[in-house]
Amino acid sequence: MHPATSPTANTPATRAHRTPFGRRRLLRGIAATAVVPLVLGTAACGDDAASSDPDAPVTIEFFWWGGESRAALTEQALDLYEDKNPNVTINPTWQAFTGYYDKLATISAGGNAPDIFQIDDNGLAEYAGRNVTLDLTPFVSSGDIDLSNHPESLTQYGQIDGKQVAVAAGENTPAMVYDKTKITELGLPVPETGWTYDEFVTWSAQVTEAAGDGYWGAMDPSADYKALWLWLRSQGKEFYDGPQLAFTEADLTEWFQFWLDAREAGATPPADVVHEAVGGGVSDQLVVTGKGATSFMWSNQLSELGKSTESELGMVAYPGDPKGQWARASLYWAGSRSTEHPEVVADVIDFLANDPEAAQILGVDRGLPSNLDNRETVQAGLDDPYMTATVEFENALIPQMGPAPAPPPQGHGPLRSTLTTVAESVTYGQASPADAAAEFFRQAEATLE
Amino acid sequence: MSTADGGGAARRRAAGGTARGVARVAVLVAILVVVLYPLIWVLGSSLKSPTEVASNLSVIPQDPTWANYPDGWNYLRNISFGRFFWNSTVIAAATVVANAVSCLLAAYAFARLRFRARKMWFAIMIGTLLLPSHVLIVPQYIMFNYFGWIDTPLPLIVPKLLATEAFFVFLMVQFMRGIPRELDDAAKIDGCSPFGVFRYVIVPLARPALVTTAIFSFIWTWNDFLTQLIYLPSVSSYTVPIGLRLFIDSTGQTSLGPMFAMSVLSLLPVFLFFLAFQKMLVQGINTSGLKG
Amino acid sequence: MAMTTKPAPATTSTTTPARSGARRGSAPGASRRHGEGLAGYVFLSPWLLGLMAITAFPMLFSLYLSFTNYDILSSWDFVEWVGFENYWDLFVNDQTFRHSAQVTLIFAFVAVPLKLAAALSVALLLNRESRGVGLFRSLFYLPSLLGGSVALALIWRAMFSGDGAFNDFLGLFGIPGQPWVNDPDWALETLMVLAIWQFGAPMVIFLAGLKQVPTELYEAASVDGAGKIRQFFNVTLPMLSPVIFFNLVLETINGFQGFTAAFVISNGTGGPVDSTMLYTLYLYTKGFTEFQMGYASALAWVFLIAIGLITVLFFSTGRFWVHYSDGDND
Repeated sequence: MHPATSPTANTPATRAHRTPFGRRRLLRGIAATAVVPLVLGTAACGDDAASSDPDAPVTIEFFWWGGESRAALTEQALDLYEDKNPNVTINPTWQAFTGYYDKLATISAGGNAPDIFQIDDNGLAEYAGRNVTLDLTPFVSSGDIDLSNHPESLTQYGQIDGKQVAVAAGENTPAMVYDKTKITELGLPVPETGWTYDEFVTWSAQVTEAAGDGYWGAMDPSADYKALWLWLRSQGKEFYDGPQLAFTEADLTEWFQFWLDAREAGATPPADVVHEAVGGGVSDQLVVTGKGATSFMWSNQLSELGKSTESELGMVAYPGDPKGQWARASLYWAGSRSTEHPEVVADVIDFLANDPEAAQILGVDRGLPSNLDNRETVQAGLDDPYMTATVEFENALIPQMGPAPAPPPQGHGPLRSTLTTVAESVTYGQASPADAAAEFFRQAEATLE
Repeated sequence: MSTADGGGAARRRAAGGTARGVARVAVLVAILVVVLYPLIWVLGSSLKSPTEVASNLSVIPQDPTWANYPDGWNYLRNISFGRFFWNSTVIAAATVVANAVSCLLAAYAFARLRFRARKMWFAIMIGTLLLPSHVLIVPQYIMFNYFGWIDTPLPLIVPKLLATEAFFVFLMVQFMRGIPRELDDAAKIDGCSPFGVFRYVIVPLARPALVTTAIFSFIWTWNDFLTQLIYLPSVSSYTVPIGLRLFIDSTGQTSLGPMFAMSVLSLLPVFLFFLAFQKMLVQGINTSGLKG
Repeated sequence: MAMTTKPAPATTSTTTPARSGARRGSAPGASRRHGEGLAGYVFLSPWLLGLMAITAFPMLFSLYLSFTNYDILSSWDFVEWVGFENYWDLFVNDQTFRHSAQVTLIFAFVAVPLKLAAALSVALLLNRESRGVGLFRSLFYLPSLLGGSVALALIWRAMFSGDGAFNDFLGLFGIPGQPWVNDPDWALETLMVLAIWQFGAPMVIFLAGLKQVPTELYEAASVDGAGKIRQFFNVTLPMLSPVIFFNLVLETINGFQGFTAAFVISNGTGGPVDSTMLYTLYLYTKGFTEFQMGYASALAWVFLIAIGLITVLFFSTGRFWVHYSDGDND
């Protein structure tokens, strides 16, 4: 029986090891608060004894964010694991992105971190740096988590301070999505991978010109950290060097100025239209709202974008030298350091990362499968043309990619917000590119310490 | 002005104030159109197709479809949206009762009884309203986790039983202070203890405040997001606000149409709840009478 | 606040003749107090228990955290006492703190009075018994039923973006539009409109308060020859003053704590360009996005003291204009 369908049946047995009471605690809990420490103590002892027996029943809490289709696939894969490991029960919990990190932080602070959770590169350093995550290095060395068939750079992108703190759940790349139908209608060529930024802006201005009122050639990505990062890398520079910024105030001024000029050339929309898409979800992007020909997205979002518009969409790399791209973990699996069953956690992560059947089930929902063998078989089995296009895009890009940087350091999340704020102060005409860049560096100094 | 004084006043109004009545209704309808337009927009959007909903901001769907309603209701494979409605209803109903009872007791003490340190306790009660709730989330979670209450409705209900919603205590205090004290004194002369006064004077007369409390408790619980999200981790115990957010994962799958459809549906129970209870709201002091 | 017509003593039911009861003066204060102390604590006990068991710990704990570098995620072993450092940083170095305090003050002082005015006006219009009035009341409450729903962000974009309904409306009169919600100069105003739009809660409280005004007072005023307007100022307002006071205090507190709308509409960012960075949104960002919960706690306690002072001010002025029927104006 599926865990999600029978929470009451599962809960008492499964949670007993972590929260001292089962469902029956409803009443007892109130009366027995005084003896909680005692119960906690004995419960912990019991678990230690149990974990030495490989067939003893084990329960794992498993948490991710996403939509309904991701939930369906993930639960199916976890069911498969349970079938193969009858002593293991996995309690899956999922929700939309909003509130995910709030909840993860709160329950971690309360000592209830899920045994396995999904995380992305924005949060990884924050959690790993504060020792919330389980160090997976020993399991990788022992082969319990087999990363031999994963791209080297993808594995490295899950390492912080030499420790494997997470395993890539999939690979994706920033990608520029364009409205093929509209561009063809306008009689213009579709964008190509390898265009320079100047070529792209010139083309965008032509789109705006040809389309007339209320439609623009390109999104203004000046507030988008990933666009800035790729722009820097395509020039051989970097965003971060360890915990510090690796670029200069002059670089950032140039970046802001470039997009200011692009807007004056008519390539990008006014600030308020840009703002609607900045930080918004899939449904807020210009190619979907019908206000622009191109949006700066992630490759695995193509299929979802396609569902929200009648136009046919296409996808190329961001402008600039493709060597700026790298094999990036779209999402990771991480374990909790407080888990009582680290071996099982490692085994489940290995299963999700390598098992061919699991890979078939999970498909490309979290990006291309990390395991290269699985990547081929999954690709062969895809029937959604957009998903096939995603895989083909990635495969074509991989040989041109540069080396992976380290995952962004602690403070990356707030710094992204700072970038958005200062970039928008430029697009809204409140600050000059130089002032905005100076403000960014002033705040970055405080954020990155 | 009141139902009890019967037809006389109503007839007088009807005869003398027809023109004024029409004007009043016209004003009300005009305001209503403005006030309700955004909600009509939600209704319109709930009938838009997936390829239209993000690009068409107009209130009228180009190609209306009801599909979002069944799609939204059956969005998850194992759990229908009805489950979230049921979960929300149970928690909201328990909260209504808990708040009404516990806050009424506390409010009576503050409003009518004289006891040592009353003013200090009252100030503390108001003080508990003032702290932004976000800094309390983590300590509260740690505490309820220590009690072993995670994944049960207890963290959502027990605090209400203990009158921790100072808003309602204060609300009832203000209402009770509008009840003339002569009534208490009369009851006391008839031999009532403070408990008797509470039972025979305050409870019947505080009905508007009780109904207000019930309405707000229900609606606010119905709309609460973060506490329910944190304390109810299983998908099957999710409530309506959490369920609504499942339609929009800003990093990926987004189903606006079904979200609008379920938003419309989620308004219905609270709307009906309000419609039913506002009648009791107007049966205030004039018709409830004095039974004591 | 003097009333031209004294309330008829202790009349509550119009179907029974006025009950000639005891006046306040005839109840000896000393004997009234006798035995009430115990009863007071009995009635107060659930609240006291809640205070001790549930409210006090998180509050005091957050006070303690405001003197530490607590970051939520690190183990408790790493929590260090930093004295007044958080408070010092906040007042001396933190520009966003000043900015968000300013934004919040503007928001609260504009939105709250307008919201209360809207709520009271509509409540007065709806305070009568005629067919359909219940439906009207419920319809006016509808926007408030949305709370902080996810749909809100999309609604507000559809109403107040460059191609939104409000600009279409303005276009009918030839007035040029604005990208309101996407314009740093107007985004806060759209949040105020949202707050005012959801005036249902104070409206209901006003309605309930209006129902408590004994009909006899209006009849007596009528007999004295007072017109509708004088009745409003001499009967309605004084009798409603405890409820007005309540709404004023609570809506002010709510206004200062305004979070949900700003969070939903700006997608948690407080944008564009920090224009909707309300104080509690900033506090939340510090605590949960930047993992500086100690600092966020300091922000919260500064807030508590500030809003506490305002509340004390309200209570101390209240004695001059709030009329309590229990005759106990403290």
